[in-house]
Amino acid sequence: MIRKKAWFLILTLLLFVIPLTALLLQSLSAPWRFHTGQGLDWGWQGYAILFENPQLWEATFISIGIGFAVLFMNVTIGLFTGKALVSYAYRGKAWLEALLLSPILIPSLAIAMGLHLFMIRIGLADTIWGVMLIHLVPTVPYSIKIFHNSYQQMGKAMMEQPHILGAGFWTQVFTVELPLLRPAIRSLTFLTIVISLSQYALTAIIGGGRVLTLPLVFFPFLDNANTSIMAAFSIWFALIPLSMYIIIEVLMMFLPYSRLPWRNHR
Amino acid sequence: MTQKKLEMKNITKTFHQDKILSELTFHLEKGEIMSIVGPSGSGKTTLLRILAGLEKPSDGKIIMNGKDITKQKANRRSISLVFQQPLLFPHMTVKENIVYGAKVSKKYKEEKVDSLLEAIGMVRFQNHYPSEISGGQQQRVALARAMATEPEVILFDEPFSSLDPSLRQDLRYWVRDFLSSRETTAVFVTHDMEEAMIMGDQIAVFEDGNFQQIGTAETLHKSPANLRVASFLGGHLILNDHEFAPLHDVQVGTKKTVEDGVNFQATVEHITYQHGRPIAHLYVIDLKKKVSLPFDGTFPSREVQVTIPTDSIRTFSGETL
Repeated sequence: MIRKKAWFLILTLLLFVIPLTALLLQSLSAPWRFHTGQGLDWGWQGYAILFENPQLWEATFISIGIGFAVLFMNVTIGLFTGKALVSYAYRGKAWLEALLLSPILIPSLAIAMGLHLFMIRIGLADTIWGVMLIHLVPTVPYSIKIFHNSYQQMGKAMMEQPHILGAGFWTQVFTVELPLLRPAIRSLTFLTIVISLSQYALTAIIGGGRVLTLPLVFFPFLDNANTSIMAAFSIWFALIPLSMYIIIEVLMMFLPYSRLPWRNHR
Repeated sequence: MTQKKLEMKNITKTFHQDKILSELTFHLEKGEIMSIVGPSGSGKTTLLRILAGLEKPSDGKIIMNGKDITKQKANRRSISLVFQQPLLFPHMTVKENIVYGAKVSKKYKEEKVDSLLEAIGMVRFQNHYPSEISGGQQQRVALARAMATEPEVILFDEPFSSLDPSLRQDLRYWVRDFLSSRETTAVFVTHDMEEAMIMGDQIAVFEDGNFQQIGTAETLHKSPANLRVASFLGGHLILNDHEFAPLHDVQVGTKKTVEDGVNFQATVEHITYQHGRPIAHLYVIDLKKKVSLPFDGTFPSREVQVTIPTDSIRTFSGETL
């Protein structure tokens, strides 16, 4: 037990706490050249240069907007597909499941090239709608898998119980299924937002450079030798999924029958 | 005058060419409790699921209060089903679970929920979550939740099978009284004959997709319709496809005890105790059958003689109803 705890502590320090602290310190100081023997030179230059970039706020808001839209579409598609996969028994189910996972097995760039032509034809290329749709390619297979597993864990009988009591389809989804699927929604939130936020190639191809997201602003900085700016940018980037996660968590508190401090009567 | 509450007419269910239910017909009167008993895998659960509306029959009709409800969805039927597992919603408290049942069926009244909580003895635990109460309490809450929807018919699918024996016994009587005090029409499915006798006014022996016999416990024991009913009841020594002898007329000894009777060789396999009496588990060699019967005293040897007086041998009634 003690050994396990020690390992946990060592791994957490090594892989999480130390790198994060280093990143934070670097973002708040001038690039550190340890061989010169000098200490850290504190300052806000990293953040100052970052915020000078006129496109930063626009890119941030567009990224958040796309992130939320992609998350919403993922929850909707994943929920109903996952539910259907658990509810119905039919021949060739395994094949269908494999087919639904296939977008992550085929390189997404190949899909994007093909879809680009299609999007040009239907007028979605270079639009934010086109980018939202293309971000579904690397995310939807995961959401279907996550919801499929969660529904399976919930069990068919638990899904039949509200129906037997007299609940309609939507009442059942909102009062029983969504509250019980909270862990799935949590995992999906992080997964979807992080995947959507880090898409460079897909966004660049379909958005044609007109739809400005954070990676598009971030990439030119990679050539930069100023590690302070990079550190500041990384922290800014990391704060976005974190704050979106908090927003989703708050929204989930409004789901019926949430365990809230003021709802516990005991 | 009695009124037909629920009727099943020629219900058939086939699944991948297997006939699970075969032209099943029966009816229930208002306030009647029927136990359906049969071996595992005989299709009892399928029958309940069809009644509840969770599955569609391949053929036949379900009629409730004179109206055909075969095509009605489960949430529109005034039929509730209590599953083998309590299936309480884990994110709701005991009270919320009951209120949920009342609200989704649009029959919510504060007083009703309170009286149900009182009836199941859970007032103290009303704000507990399902994970914080015992299995028996959970099953009682599940029943209250089903009752909160004010169903005209309530179906039970082996609701006590996951409970320990002493709790099961208490809950059986409690549910029986609860249902009869409210004059609720109910169907109770079980594989346990004793449970079936406690719960039901009528007992239906179900096997091979059809009712082998429907009647009171007394009728079933006195004149079983066929070999299947008799072998399921376990209260008879089956001699052949047509004849049987009630176990209480069977005599066991070291040698033939009556002159005018049939005699068989048997071995004592095991002795157990039930209701304070020893039970001998015998293997009747000539009939290749096992029987269990209470006895007094001890057997001097493992080899015994089973004697049946001629006037105790009866033939199967063949009457299903």
